[in-house]
Amino acid sequence: MSDNRQQPGQGHSERRELTCEEALARVYEYLDGELGAGEHEAVRRHLEKCRNCYPHFDFERMFLDYVHELGAVEESKPGLEGRVRELLAAETG
Amino acid sequence: MTITTERRRKEFESEALVHLDALYGLALRLSGGDEPRAEDLVQETFLKAYQAWDRFTVGTNCRAWLMTILRNTFINQFRQQQSRPAAVEFEALAERPSSTALYEADPEGRIFDRIIDDQVIRAIDELPEEFRVTVVLSDLEGLSYQEVSDLMGVPVGTVKSRLFRARKRLQEKLYEFAVEMGYLR
Repeated sequence: MSDNRQQPGQGHSERRELTCEEALARVYEYLDGELGAGEHEAVRRHLEKCRNCYPHFDFERMFLDYVHELGAVEESKPGLEGRVRELLAAETG
Repeated sequence: MTITTERRRKEFESEALVHLDALYGLALRLSGGDEPRAEDLVQETFLKAYQAWDRFTVGTNCRAWLMTILRNTFINQFRQQQSRPAAVEFEALAERPSSTALYEADPEGRIFDRIIDDQVIRAIDELPEEFRVTVVLSDLEGLSYQEVSDLMGVPVGTVKSRLFRARKRLQEKLYEFAVEMGYLR
């Protein structure tokens, strides 16, 4: 076997560097913590060196943090608590 | 009504009802801002939780427990509805180009400090349902791809592509808002 091509991050003896395109294609999986250890490390190594990709990843991280914080937004509905209490009282009998 | 059942109800109310607004918030996001649907979902959640109250360990995370019941209740309804074809909605979002306009205009992300949350919440509400539910479970609730996949009954690859498209759609909306508000030119 003379085929030395390897999937990014899967190499042991040979650690091929990711291209920007390959790194950016993994931006969400990287930030979501969904890449396997080898691929995560390959992206991390690319970001250490790449002035083009690092700001892009940083921007996407800020975006995801912002959206995540919207999950903590509470909403009130007038009268709903009273209706829930009535439901519970009826269930209690 | 016995003293025990009355005490049980009071205990449930003091532990669980404080989370009403958080639950209603999640219900509204999952149902895309549909208030009657969200209210039904919250009521059903409290009823189920009350019926299962003996299995809840007081002192553990009641909010997380209630959120899980609400999520599962919603998903059961959602998956029943999914027998109806929704391919049109999927295509509508799938064919849009993925925009990097926001990043190019505002690489430092200043918009995230200035944008009005209600505008973005409305943009989430307006996503086609499969995309909205995926974003709410993953990005707002913090579930893993596998957890979202299991809940929604779709492959992990579908979760990934829905997240990608939905996030890009939200960024396009953010860009539009930013231009409208005069934050970006």
